[in-house]
Amino acid sequence: MRSQASIDYLEPNIQDVIQEIGQSLRATYTISKHAIALLFLQKDEDIEMLLQKNEAGFYPKFCEMRERISQQYDGNLNQAIALSRQKKINNVVSETVHSKTISARTVTKFLDQFLMHPVLGYGCLAVVLYYCIYQFVGVFAAGTLVDLIETSIFEERINPWVTSWVTTIVPWQVVTDLFVGEYGVITLGIRYAAALVLPIVGAFFLMFSVIEDTGYLPRLSYLLDRIFKKIGLNGRAVIPMILGLGCDTMATMVTRVLETKREKIIATLLLALAIPCSAQLGLILALLSTNAKAMVLWGSVVSLEFLVIGLLAASILPGTKPHFYMEMPPLRLPKLSNVLSKTTARMKWYFLEVFPLFIFASVLIWAGILTGVFQWIVRAIEPLMGVLGLPSQMAIVMLFGFFRRDYGAAGLFDLQSQHLLTGNQLAIAAITLTLFLPCIAQFLIMKKERGLSMTLVMCTFVFGMAFGTGVVLNQLLTLFGVQL
Amino acid sequence: MNNPATKVILIGNPNVGKSALFNQLTKRYVSVSNYPGTTVSISRGEFKTEGRLYEVMDTPGLYSLLPMTEDERVARRVLLEHPNAVIVHVVDAKNLDRMLALTFQLKEAAYQHLILVLNMMDEAHRDGFKIDCQKLELALACPVIETISISGQGISNLKEKIYEITSVH
Repeated sequence: MRSQASIDYLEPNIQDVIQEIGQSLRATYTISKHAIALLFLQKDEDIEMLLQKNEAGFYPKFCEMRERISQQYDGNLNQAIALSRQKKINNVVSETVHSKTISARTVTKFLDQFLMHPVLGYGCLAVVLYYCIYQFVGVFAAGTLVDLIETSIFEERINPWVTSWVTTIVPWQVVTDLFVGEYGVITLGIRYAAALVLPIVGAFFLMFSVIEDTGYLPRLSYLLDRIFKKIGLNGRAVIPMILGLGCDTMATMVTRVLETKREKIIATLLLALAIPCSAQLGLILALLSTNAKAMVLWGSVVSLEFLVIGLLAASILPGTKPHFYMEMPPLRLPKLSNVLSKTTARMKWYFLEVFPLFIFASVLIWAGILTGVFQWIVRAIEPLMGVLGLPSQMAIVMLFGFFRRDYGAAGLFDLQSQHLLTGNQLAIAAITLTLFLPCIAQFLIMKKERGLSMTLVMCTFVFGMAFGTGVVLNQLLTLFGVQL
Repeated sequence: MNNPATKVILIGNPNVGKSALFNQLTKRYVSVSNYPGTTVSISRGEFKTEGRLYEVMDTPGLYSLLPMTEDERVARRVLLEHPNAVIVHVVDAKNLDRMLALTFQLKEAAYQHLILVLNMMDEAHRDGFKIDCQKLELALACPVIETISISGQGISNLKEKIYEITSVH
């Protein structure tokens, strides 16, 4: 028998009901009978189910008692309980906590006025995006760092050295192709992973960790809450959306923080369609940083798609708009050690997943070329590229994109650096790849969280939207004679 | 093992530093963010103190014993399933008035081994709060420990307290 803790802060008539229900409970429980009775009074669904099962004989009587006491508080029993508890807490706090109101937080309060301002907030967002993402990830990592690693390490040192070494010891062309051919494990797989993805994704993870630890993200949630309400989501849904910019797979799991099934469906769909993950975002932004107009088009189309699909989904799916309350943590200076360990953990996890896949893809393509399957698939996709207005080399990149969107983006990056794409083609390819599902892992998590049939419907829709958008955009750009 | 590890459950509002505390206690790593809702599932780790083994569980944020969302339900289920565990209720020392409701509910639920951890004491001091821990311990009838989980201050006190309340009997 567990000892009964004091509930003397509650109104006497509520205490009596709790006593009475508590004493009538026959089964044994892991927590005190008072607590069970109190949770039952507050209409806790799990406890209701438990009591229905364990106390079947008395259950109707319990409900009757609850109904009666609830009427005495105009149906706001939960509020009455919370209020008396808070009164008791305020007493305890006033006796034990002494606060001198000092103005230590004026700087962050001052900053908050800007960050969460309905108009200026977006200006702050633009500044954050420009310096942290565009300048740091796009210009520094994707430009300077990639150049350094790709050109002066891989192309000038590793590739020629490995190629000559492999070709001298292995006489068969078939085998040398596997390692150092056009799509070789070393010349393509490892080069993509180490020279393109590592610096860009690493820089993005680093920046994301810094931004995360300052406490800017909840402020961004607050800012975007207004827009999100219009598409049937509340500010709480901004949490998975913004985490999605880090990793859509993890974010799909975080949709658990949403209260209704409706919100979870809308959020999962939007994550699959319009939220690029960090690997993609980094690579695509890096790609588009050479062409400002293409970047603006990409940004507008993807956000428009996000809003339109969100709005449509919200109007099709029945349900009510949820209320929103979020803790606003203070702005903090990020701690270097936490930022570093978080970035390393994320990169380790990402590379363990991505590295074998890149190598596996190289092997698969090698086998495909040997058997002729690869050429056959590429020929099959080529007409699709025609409809999208993309050159035939893009067929290979799209095939990469099926493995993982970031792999496709890396291929696109490669094509772009050989100046094989026009501005229009660049924008269309980037948009189509962004709208695709990022990776197999996300598909698996979607299946786990939402069920197979809904996931298949969502994925079909996402693929249709991705290609459809590319086709329509190509037609529009051609029709109006726009050259980006 | 003939003597199974005693369970220690970290519970509390979102964004009060449970995951950081978990990392400090177990020397394992789970992602820590200045962002409510980062933890959506249970993480497990271990630590040893005075030769005794403890299994620590990090849970998603819980505002009250009455859960509203799926992640809160996960945290509550862990609580209900482990009536004999050491419950470490982690709170943000700057916002005691909003956080103690859960402490009261945990007391009402009659958990035998409850410890209240006032975390983020550095920020509380900076903001001008002074907390009389002894008085608070009396008022709540449960041990109170002050910590700064991000730097590790107070962790050894917490371990000692966990050991102390699990070895009297």
